[in-house]
Amino acid sequence: MNARKILARAFEVALILIWLFPLAWMVITSLKYESEVVTRSFTFLPENPTLYNYLHAFSSTYILQWLCNSLAISIVTMIATFILDAPIAYAFAKIRFPGRNILFWIVMAGMMVPFQVLIVPLYLQFNSYGIINTLSSAILPRLAMPIGIFILRQFYEGIPDALEEAAFIDGAGRFRTFARIILPLGKSAATTVIILSFINAWNDFLWPLIAINDSVKYTITVGIANFQGTHGTEYALIMAGAVIASIPELVFFLIFRRKIIDGIAMTGIKG
Amino acid sequence: MIPGNRDTRDGILFSLPFMIVFALFMVYPLVFGFYISFFKWNILGTPSFLGIQNYVDIMHDEKFWSSLWHTVQFVLMTTPVLIVMGFLMALLATSHSPLKGVMETVFFIPYILSMTVAATLWAWIMQKDFGIINQVIRLMGGEGVSWLTSEKNAMWSISIATYWWTAGFNMVLYTAGIKQISKEVFESATVDGANALQRIIHITIPLVKPTTILCLILQVIASFNVFGQVYVMTGGGPAGSTRVLIQYIYETGFSYFRMGYSAAMSYILFVIIMAISVIQYITLGRRDS
Repeated sequence: MNARKILARAFEVALILIWLFPLAWMVITSLKYESEVVTRSFTFLPENPTLYNYLHAFSSTYILQWLCNSLAISIVTMIATFILDAPIAYAFAKIRFPGRNILFWIVMAGMMVPFQVLIVPLYLQFNSYGIINTLSSAILPRLAMPIGIFILRQFYEGIPDALEEAAFIDGAGRFRTFARIILPLGKSAATTVIILSFINAWNDFLWPLIAINDSVKYTITVGIANFQGTHGTEYALIMAGAVIASIPELVFFLIFRRKIIDGIAMTGIKG
Repeated sequence: MIPGNRDTRDGILFSLPFMIVFALFMVYPLVFGFYISFFKWNILGTPSFLGIQNYVDIMHDEKFWSSLWHTVQFVLMTTPVLIVMGFLMALLATSHSPLKGVMETVFFIPYILSMTVAATLWAWIMQKDFGIINQVIRLMGGEGVSWLTSEKNAMWSISIATYWWTAGFNMVLYTAGIKQISKEVFESATVDGANALQRIIHITIPLVKPTTILCLILQVIASFNVFGQVYVMTGGGPAGSTRVLIQYIYETGFSYFRMGYSAAMSYILFVIIMAISVIQYITLGRRDS
């Protein structure tokens, strides 16, 4: 290895460490006692590592409840999105029905609508249904977002018509063909849609902040955002909360790393 | 037409479930919001029709203009840096380095965190008295910086947190763009004696132009919609110097319950974002073809 290569590797390692440092600092802070955190006599590593902040977070905040709320919202969103998006994506890709193109463009135009335009009317709408401050109010607007249709349609279009025709000749109906041929073939696109809708629902902030005002029903993003308001200068506690909130996301990422990155690349490039 | 063809029926049946949800929670609120924007509309009490008065008032609302200006500042502070960072990260992630896979993962990881976690973390790192940046500066004999509590620095500090959080997203788009360039182009350039820097300038940058346009459009939209980082890190302060448009829309609607006024502002923001996207698409896209 020549000097140039060593230099390049050293530079890369430095970048990696810099990029990971904030995460490490989050964990390190969370393992210190509050008194060690708020002092000018700076220590890098905890003098007496403790899990006190984690116990304190679980016992004195609703963080476990917030995690469950976010999990419930994200799982329902992910399943419902797929159930709603797959059939219409199939219809757009394979069924020739009058008005198909117009309908497709109307739905795609929905991707251009920035969400904040909808917050006031949605709030009034949900208020009149009496579902403000429920988990369903956090879920419903997400289901109207057409990004999944776009991904699935793209994939279904690539499935050769001959496969479907063979099924029709064998006497299978539309629904059977869709369920037995299209859905299994579209598995990889389906996974992408499911993962992306889970992540988007999990990370949603503005809408749950508005729709839910009962602190027990907060999502984890809203709960963490309001930590500073309620726990002011308890930085070790706040960091423990941030670690707890990050663990599900990081686990999810490590399992589906390739799928998530490819999904973003695909929707970005083709969107 | 095949006899007994049920395409029309099937098409409607398969589209219907989504279309109902789409009509209820996208089309209806979009129209309803526009309608509301012509009223004085509080949660309690009867709405009264104002015509275009809300829009006229907004044009004379100093807070609206300052929020819009802060938003534009944030767009200008973040967009160019994030595009360049995403591109450089993608170069590393597609290089011949044995660490390229690790770098791709590490650069992307912050984006997987929810924005509120990232913002909370950076608010702590940049905390004035006990945050690590100022602690280190003091250890080296310097004076602590008011990262989030001075009007001069606050928006830059929010931008720095945003760089860390979201640069990985642009990297992913660029990585995909760079991978689409055929290897032969690079190889023949190498044979012709082009060095690495020349290859980047004369091959990679021109050939990833579609990705750059895409990143630019997505990034400008995303930066215009900034809210969470500000909400968590400064709450719009100090002295309203980081209040962005969505925050003003949120406060007007949900702290002061002036729903009509809030809706009108959100439509103005919508029009601004659309206009900028269309202008970018036309000017950048044209030159490309």
